[in-house]
Order: sequence, then structure tokens, then C-alpha cells
Amino acid sequence: MPKITFNAVRKVFPTDSVNPVVAIDHIDLTVRHDEFVSIVGPSGCGKSTLLYLLGGFIDLSGGDILIDDKPVSGPGPDRGIVFQHFALFPWHTVLGNVEFGLAERGIAKAERREIAQRYIDMVKLTGFENTFPNRLSGGMQQRVALARTLACDPAVLLMDEPFGALDAQTRHILQEELLEIWSRQKKTVLFVTHDVREAVILSERVVVMTARPGRIKAVIDTRADRGGSSAAIDARAEHIWSILREELSR
Amino acid sequence: MRAARLANVLFYYSPLALLAIAWDLSSRFNLIAPELAPSPGATLAALWTLIASGELTEHVGVSVYRESVGLLSSIAVGTVIGIGMARIEWVRILLRPCVTFLYPMPKSALIPILLLWFGLGHMSKIAAVFLGCLLPMVTSSYNGARGVEPQLIWSARSLGASQWGVLWKVILMAALPDILSGARIALALSWLLLVAAEMMISRNGLGFLISYTGETGDYANMFAAILVVVAIGFFSDRFFLLLMRWALRWRDLPA
Amino acid sequence: MSPTQKIRLGRWARAFGHYAGGAAIVGLWEISVSGGWIDPYLLPAPSAVFGRMIEQAMAGDLIRHAALTVYRGVAGFLIAAALGIVLGTLAARNRFCHWFLDPLVSVGFPAPKIALLPIFILWFGLGDMSKLVMVVITCIFPVISATYLGTSSIDRYLIWSARNLGMSERRLLWKIVIPAALPQIISGLQIAFPMALVVTVVTEMITSGGGLGGYMMRSARFALSEQVFAGIVTIGILGYLLLKLFDRGRRYLLRWHAESQM
Ligand SMILES: Nc1ncnc2c1ncn2[C@@H]1O[C@H](COP(=O)(O)OP(=O)(O)O)[C@@H](O)[C@H]1O
Ligand SMILES: [Mg+2]
Repeated sequence: MPKITFNAVRKVFPTDSVNPVVAIDHIDLTVRHDEFVSIVGPSGCGKSTLLYLLGGFIDLSGGDILIDDKPVSGPGPDRGIVFQHFALFPWHTVLGNVEFGLAERGIAKAERREIAQRYIDMVKLTGFENTFPNRLSGGMQQRVALARTLACDPAVLLMDEPFGALDAQTRHILQEELLEIWSRQKKTVLFVTHDVREAVILSERVVVMTARPGRIKAVIDTRADRGGSSAAIDARAEHIWSILREELSR
Repeated sequence: MRAARLANVLFYYSPLALLAIAWDLSSRFNLIAPELAPSPGATLAALWTLIASGELTEHVGVSVYRESVGLLSSIAVGTVIGIGMARIEWVRILLRPCVTFLYPMPKSALIPILLLWFGLGHMSKIAAVFLGCLLPMVTSSYNGARGVEPQLIWSARSLGASQWGVLWKVILMAALPDILSGARIALALSWLLLVAAEMMISRNGLGFLISYTGETGDYANMFAAILVVVAIGFFSDRFFLLLMRWALRWRDLPA
Repeated sequence: MSPTQKIRLGRWARAFGHYAGGAAIVGLWEISVSGGWIDPYLLPAPSAVFGRMIEQAMAGDLIRHAALTVYRGVAGFLIAAALGIVLGTLAARNRFCHWFLDPLVSVGFPAPKIALLPIFILWFGLGDMSKLVMVVITCIFPVISATYLGTSSIDRYLIWSARNLGMSERRLLWKIVIPAALPQIISGLQIAFPMALVVTVVTEMITSGGGLGGYMMRSARFALSEQVFAGIVTIGILGYLLLKLFDRGRRYLLRWHAESQM
């Protein structure tokens, strides 16, 4: 049984003008348990929209999305999300942010604190528990967001260009940390990125989308390349690029 | 360190002392007619008698009670209405016409009806403060709650918060800066409305004390009462500012 | 209904709702008064209020009072605006003025200035003068403080380059400093303007001498509730029109400024 199934998914945004925007035209995709899938595509092709649909934040216009064979209805703690611009609660400290989901689950204060501390240590933010997010760098803020989401232990992790706003060095470090976390606590990950090389390094499969209205152009198995030599990764990234380039020039 | 800060504060407020000295000198040398302004000495003496007799405490107590009940309830109700209008469309549609018509209306215009409705007791003054401050609170919380980033709401929802939980755990908090700056304006407005209403329709409170002493020609007492009102307005604003800084310490505050 | 996902109604439903909400309230009000559920003394029916308004407007009474109120509010506001801009600019450009004005503004801004009204009556009598002074003293603080903020935060390079071009200090002030500070000054005026109306009405209520405030207070003393409501409706309409007018002026003055294109 697949973890996630997209069945003829379609999303149309009504707009003020006469023509509505068809963000996603028709998407069929299945994702296995604990699989790491990346999604790449031209900007505006509906990648974020796809994640938001799966997250249950916005409603489908057609088709359906199943998780464990049950249709998605509204957001829930089984699907955690990490946004490009962190979306931390600025009025909570690092600890408060990481504890948020635990408090929602009704976990007692002492235990909540202990779990949160574990995740804060895991993303290497020990010592910043009582700092407010506006005092942290972008990379640190994204670590908090990751810890906040992981602390709820969601089965599915949705990541929308999570490292897109970070500098190259921080991005590289966080990529390695994410892989390490994923290899320890298995999760089904949907990872949107515009960085093709990042997709190859991180994921088992890369989904390439067409320009808007978004459809699936190609699905590429990258399991053979991800752990491999830098040359192999580059070759695979170049291959995906060549597919993507056709869409960019349209 | 502390002494230096104290000296700074004293220097900052020195022009006020200068004005007091100018006032004193001009009354000593009869530059202003004593029937137009009592001397600072006479004013302070009057203030002292007002305090010592317990009369001042009584009026201050009455005024502070009316002001805080009216203001706090307008903050609570106004915030609920403002957030409701921002996040729930049918609430917005129902209330929008009332707000557009009532918002530009000078809030003080309601005082005469409150006299008709509630008479001379506490209620007419509390209502004046409440109704006057309600709309500024509605509009400021509405503006704050409209602009909340959807991703903050989605984060909370995917961390397990319910739709109603999101209203006060995310939207209320995100709107807090706007709500508090609205409340600071409401605070100033509340004292204006209260003192005005007490001057017109009351048998006690600071506004009454000012207008009563004025009408009976007891200007030393009138000046003393005015000084008290100005001081209360100033210190309550300072206190609120401290509270606001603390509540918003998570933000980069403009100086 | 969901509070967090904004639910959108159709365009017609919305346009209808916009007026229906107001109409429903007025209708309900009329019915509950004429049906005898509400004492018409406490809340006269809308029809009675409008009837009284038209009657008094025809007689010229209401119009005369309204004109007085508008005159006092607007004149006081304009005087406060002019004085406030001058004082704010002085405080920004002269250290002595800053030293002197800053603490006065920080105490005067939050103070309930209405408490000073009896002093102004004592000094200037019960006529227009004391009312104008009251309005000016209320409106001037936001203007001073906004002008100060605006004129003291101007880009130094702007001033240097203007000096470099040989501009006189006077022209510099009028051509560079004030225009650059205009958005801030206007936001100060935007706070001051509604306050002018609030205080004009209150002052008229306390001191008599005509105007809508006095008219309403007198009506309330004689328990003529229809007239009190007629006054409130008139003030509401005036307030709405004046704010609209103010907004026009603001847009005109800021037409070069990006924010005004909202
Ligand atoms: N709320 C919305 N209303 C109207 N159009 C939208 C909305 N959200 C997204 N779109 C449009 O849908 C398309 C896909 O958006 P998005 O999923 O954000 O693209 P991507 O993440 O791939 O860059 C874009 O053309 C965007 O303009
Ligand atoms: Mg996107």
C-alpha cells in the first residue's frame, strides 16, 4: 500500500479577472512509505500548491489525495511542513516554538520540555532555548522550524524550498543534517526545490513538473546516484536539467 | 550609574521646572492677575489639603474605576469584534456598515444620549468610555488580524491546533502590536471622554471636581485638580508603554 | 463556519450584504420602536429622528449649529497644523528648541487636555476664543511630534547636495525639508483631525454658545430625545464628509508618493 496517492489532482484558483488560474492540471503520483521524493519545476508551476493541497491547507478543485488510503481533509499533525521563510511564531522563544505542537497534543509540561530539548540539541541549537526568532540567523531559524516540525513526529514531512533562502554554506550543512535525520527516523518526505543538484543528493526519486498548468513531465530514479561520486551526481543533475530546460524555454 | 540616569531625567524635564519658576515669579510680581491664575504655592497648598482631607482619593478612585472598567471592556469587546470581522466573512458583512458610519463620528457626540439612558451614576461615564474607545479598538485589531501571514496559520494547524485555537494562539498574537498601539490611543481617548463626561454629568470624579471648583471660583483647587488629571494621563501612558514594551519584547521595537 | 479559511461569498451576496446589514439594523430599529418594544423616549424611531432633522434643517437651526461646529473644528485644526509644523521643524533644526519642547510634548501629548478647558474659559471667556484654544491645544501635539520625526529623519545627503548647489537655508526648508517630511506630517494631521471634531463637540457641550454639541446638550437637558438623535446623525454625516474631504486633500498632497496610490 503506498503512503501517498495523488489521483488526477487539479487545482484552479479563482481570480478577480475572468480567467481563473489553472495551477495544477492533472497529477497522478504515488509515494511509498518512508520514501524521499523531490519535486523540481519552473517557478509558478504549482509545486507549492501541490504541497499545500497535501497539507490540507487549500481545497482540491478535482481528483483526490489519499494518505494511507484515506482522503485528505484539512491539516493535521500527521503531516508536518517546513516553509521557505520559516514561518516561526515570532512571539515564542525557540523552546516555545518547538513545544507548540507538543502542547497541542496535551503532553505534560515536564515531558514536553524534555522532548523539545532533545530536538533542539539535534538541530544543534543548544543554548538558544530562550532566544526569540528575530535574534537568529536565517539558517538557525530554519533549524528551529525543522525541530518544531520533527518534535511532533509526523509520518509525512513536507518541505517547500526549505533551504532556498539560505547561503550556500548553511544550505550544505543543513542538507547533510536532514539526510542524517531522515536515515535515523524514517519519514516520507516530499521536498520541493529549485536546486536540481540538491534534489539528486537528497532524494530517491525526482519528479520534474511542466510549466504551468503543472503536470508531471518525468519521474527519475536517483537512488543509484545520491550516495555516489560527485561526478555521478553532476551527470544526473545535468540530465534532469536538460529535461527541465525544455520547460523553462517555453 | 543610577545617579547619572537620574541626572539625565532631571535635565530632560528641566524646561518644566523653568515654566513653574516663570509662573511663580509672574504671580509674585503680579504680572498675572491672581484671579486669573493662583500662584504655584497656593495650588500646591490646595493640593495638599485635597490629599489630606481624603477628598482627592475619593474622586481619583471614582474616576480610575470608571475609566478602567470602560477601557478594559472596550479593549476586550473591540478585539473580539475586530478579529471576528477580519477572519469570518459573515461577521464582516454584518458589521462593516455600522463601522463605516460610526468610525468617523466624533465619539463625544454620544455623551448626551448616555445622559438620557443612564442618568448621573457610574454607568453613563463607563458607557461613554466604552463606546468611545470601542471603534478604535475594532479597527486596530481588524487591521492587525487581516494581515496575518497564512503560513503562520498553516504551521499552527499542521502542528495540531484547531481552527478556534488558531484564532487566539496565532491571530490574536500576530495582531498584538496593532491591538496594543490601538489601546494606547484608546487610553488617551478614554481619559478625555471620562473627564468631559464627568464635567457635564456627574456628582463626583475628577472632571466633576474641576468643573465644580471652577464654577464656584475656587481656582486654587481647580488648578490642583487639573494638575492631578494631567499627571494621571502622563503616568498611565508611561506605564502602558512599559507594558507594551514587555508584551512585544519579541519584536525589534522602533526606538 | 470556518474562522481561518476566509470563506468567500458571491459578488452579489456581498454587494447585497453591504447595504442589507445597514438597512436591516435601521428596519429592525424602526419596527421595534413602532411595535412598542422600545421606549421611543430612550430610542426614538429613525423616521421620527429624520422627520425632526428635516424640520429643523428647514428652519435653519440645525444648519446654523452645524456650520458653527464645522467652523470651530476646522479653524482650530488649521491653526494647530500651522503652529505644529513650525514648532516641530524648529525642534528638529534647533537644539535649544528641542531641549525646551521635547519634555513639554512628552507630557502634553498623553495628558487629557480637556481638563484645561475651565482655565481657558477663565482666561478667554465663554466665546469662540476659548473653544478655539482648546481645539488647538488638543491637535497640536500629534502634529509637532510627527513633524519633528519627519524633518529630523531626512536623508543627510539630500541636504548636503542641496547646500552644495548653493541653495539658501530658507529655500532648503521650503523646497527640500518640508516636502520630504510631508508623508510623516500628514500622518500626524490624520491623527489630529478626528480629535479636532471630538474636542469641538465636547467643548460646545460644556460651554454652550451654539454649535451641535450645545444643541444636543440642551436637547438632552430638556429630554428632547429626538433632537439629541438628530444631532448625533448630523454629526455622524458631517464627520464622514469631513474625513472624506481630508482624505482627498491628503491624496492630492501626496500624489507623488507611492503609498498614496492605495
Ligand atoms: N492564492 C492564489 N490565488 C491565485 N493564484 C495563485 C494562488 N496561489 C498560487 N497561485 C498561482 O498558481 C501558480 C502556482 O503557484 P505555486 O504553487 O506557488 O508555484 P511554485 O511553488 O511552483 O513556484 C502560480 O501561477 C501562482 O500565481
Ligand atoms: Mg513555491
